Amino acid sequence: MQADLIFTNGAIYTVDRNRSWATGLAIKDGKLVAVGTDLQVDSFKGPSTRAIDLRGRMVMPGIIDVHNHHTRGGQADLYETNILPTLSFEGVLDVVRRRAAATAPGEWISGGIWGSNLVGRLYTIAARDALDAASPDHPVMLRDDSQHSRWVNSRALALMGVDAATPNPANGEIVRDPDNGQATGLLLERASTLAETALARTVQDAAGRNVSSTRRAVQILNSFGVTAYQDANTMLPYLQALAALDAEGGLTAWCVASLPAHQPLMGTDIFGDDLIALRENFRSRHVRPDFVKLFMDGVPTTRTASMIEPYIPDRLYGCCYRGEALVSVPELARWIAKCEKQGLSTKIHCAGDGAVRDTLDAVDVVRSFNGPGRMHQIAHAGFIDPADIPRFASLNVAADLSPIIWYPGPIIEAIRAAVPEPRSSRYWPNRDLLEAGALMAAGSDWPVVSNPDPWLGIEGMVTRRNPKGGFEGALWPEQALDLATVLEIYTGNAARTMGLDALTGSLETGKSADLIVLDRHLFKIPSEELADARVLSTYFEGELVFERD
Amino acid sequence: MPPGDTIPVTVLTGFLGSGKTTVLNHLLASAELSDTAVIINEFGEIGLDHLLVQRSTENLIVLNNGCLCCTVRGDLVETSADLEARVLRGEITPFRRIVIETTGLADPAPILHTIMADPAVSRRWRLEGVITTVDAVNGARTLRAHREALKQSAVADRILLTKSDIAAVDDLAALRAQLRQLSPATPVIEVVGGRVDPAEIFNVGLFEPGGKIADVSRWLAEHAQSASHGHDHDGHGHDRHPHDLNRHDDRIKAHCIILDEAVSWNAFSYWLELLAALRGEEMLRVKGIVAVSDHPERPFVIHGVQHVFHPPIQLEHWPSDDHRTRIVFITRNMEIGDLVRTLRKFAGVSGPTIVAAEAAS
Repeated sequence: MQADLIFTNGAIYTVDRNRSWATGLAIKDGKLVAVGTDLQVDSFKGPSTRAIDLRGRMVMPGIIDVHNHHTRGGQADLYETNILPTLSFEGVLDVVRRRAAATAPGEWISGGIWGSNLVGRLYTIAARDALDAASPDHPVMLRDDSQHSRWVNSRALALMGVDAATPNPANGEIVRDPDNGQATGLLLERASTLAETALARTVQDAAGRNVSSTRRAVQILNSFGVTAYQDANTMLPYLQALAALDAEGGLTAWCVASLPAHQPLMGTDIFGDDLIALRENFRSRHVRPDFVKLFMDGVPTTRTASMIEPYIPDRLYGCCYRGEALVSVPELARWIAKCEKQGLSTKIHCAGDGAVRDTLDAVDVVRSFNGPGRMHQIAHAGFIDPADIPRFASLNVAADLSPIIWYPGPIIEAIRAAVPEPRSSRYWPNRDLLEAGALMAAGSDWPVVSNPDPWLGIEGMVTRRNPKGGFEGALWPEQALDLATVLEIYTGNAARTMGLDALTGSLETGKSADLIVLDRHLFKIPSEELADARVLSTYFEGELVFERD
Repeated sequence: MPPGDTIPVTVLTGFLGSGKTTVLNHLLASAELSDTAVIINEFGEIGLDHLLVQRSTENLIVLNNGCLCCTVRGDLVETSADLEARVLRGEITPFRRIVIETTGLADPAPILHTIMADPAVSRRWRLEGVITTVDAVNGARTLRAHREALKQSAVADRILLTKSDIAAVDDLAALRAQLRQLSPATPVIEVVGGRVDPAEIFNVGLFEPGGKIADVSRWLAEHAQSASHGHDHDGHGHDRHPHDLNRHDDRIKAHCIILDEAVSWNAFSYWLELLAALRGEEMLRVKGIVAVSDHPERPFVIHGVQHVFHPPIQLEHWPSDDHRTRIVFITRNMEIGDLVRTLRKFAGVSGPTIVAAEAAS
């Protein structure tokens, strides 16, 4: 057989436990036909074979991001105002003021993400007055780093039709000033939909914009070495954009879609059973609508995560508040069983340990009634009661971890203001999960973080420190993982959790030629340099889809 | 609201041509229906002219025996509100009982769900029982051909076997056997010319306002008898299927579970909630009396159709000397093993369990 492309003279880390290292690869029709020594792959060389000498560079399988919101990531990059979650309250206002000066009056200013640690300042009319002063002529909507809250100004509230008399939507809150009852502009959970809907009404050619956003998102993902990902909340317009992009040949990554079971925050009329019924219309070579997304709770920073033990008392919830589960155990079990019957897995958002326990209980119910079934994912899985850790493996539930948002930084500081010690420090028990046999994958949650750079997460999982500096200390360092384990989490294990392991996730004969060439050998550098690793080139199905200038 | 303050509803169902309208026509003429409101689809279908005394509005008439007769306006929720409003305005005299006739092709489950679980309806009404007419001549064929007909019989509290005077003796025996398998504890009454005694079809419910138990002892007793063959001595009943002939899976079965020890109501009702969520489609009907550890002298009566359960009723006392928990499940495509295994796991039941499964259809 004659290969289309061969690589030789590399330090090729395969993530294949039978053969961890190789020096050469041969690729034919987008698939690996040989993984081994240079001598072995040379035999696949013919007159039309392209040969690349890696000159000792490290190569590994393409990275798999098990949790992102790619369309919104692309959209943020192309159309929105970028706010860093490390900015102060005044820093956010400065960005808005500059953007307002460059934007035609009356047009929306939308973007994010502000740090959850600011949330305490936004509960008053004074904060809204400051935002109004920074943007008197534009409606403004800014998302927070959890994507569960929005901060809007008075013009936006007027366009949303919200005033002091507007009732709170179910599972959401229009935060009011305690003194005069006026909407402060802070919108929690489902109330965010009111702002997103008002903004969406003003967008021309939303379909074309979604295709452009998806294309841009995949380019960004490829530039960080990502060749497969799971979209964590794939609404109908996003599915349509994925299908359109794949049809024109622009989808250069495997995309597993997670169809929302309930109405998403962003507002769309088709979800749940109606959307599930349409899913096969959008299945294509690279688009796999094989998951359903459910939310068991919110986030700890706004005390909406469902916790086993109470939060630190605060003004809004008082003493002994534990958050609330959004779905009951029987109802969640009914959803999981219904999905399994249709060949679908579920990805279940659980930010609190109470939500994790309820979800494991629901899977246990399904297993007790129906016997063994499909693998499901618990998304985030940061707070887990020790008693629940062994249940991941025994119930065939995978952990979808979010390493980029948990090392010491603004989100952790905001969580510490809400969740008491020692629980707040017992966050992300990755080592315990590993030792209990849990299958783990990792996701960026982009655009909850400003870009989907996996290398920050890889370093953070090894060091338990903030790779960017600026925040001291390590979070529960006993839970650190070794590099080989972390790379498996970001490749082969992620593929297993997404049902793609026959296709990709390791460099083995027969699998898709999804691989990256790195600027350094990850096993020969200090852990503190892992986040500095850069992808020199990314190949998807044997084609070069990204090359660093 | 205590059950005594709600109005009992009897649902009359039966396949097309099974004699439902003949039965209703006979009932409407009887004096026992003087305090009853009858809800039907169309007046024209049953020919009321000879009974007619007074037409109140286009969809409500009062018959000469005092029976109210109304057609469904919009849906059942609207009709129940409308009837209550008319009573409050003094347009009609208060009634103590309701009979609802369903269309012949209907799956009775949705209408039962509305009565049991729609807050607007269950505030005023409670489901008393389901009466199903089965044609003795064509019944066996109809049961084979139509899932709705099978379901109408499976959920029945009484089966009225019509046209039995013109059916062949062998056919009648075979049909009776088939019905007995479908719903073992349901009395089957032969009815000729629609002449049914109203007392036979009312008072079939699980409870009566004064704590008097009309029917619970009877259907439980019949099951206890058949279940005694399958007493589970080792405490692991899930591999014992005494009456299960394992012919095929797609069929309706009656299962009975009997527990000697009282259960925790919290755990037990959680198990029922899980059953409704995971096996709602397969559970055609569930009826039972439950001994709870907090109040062993005051049992709960449970009553469900598919995924919907009637709010449980706590009785003042046991209806008989048998103080064991007894639950009957009429199911389709469901194994008794699923019930017993999950009961043990989620309701915390550890003692011996008596189970019986009877294959049907």
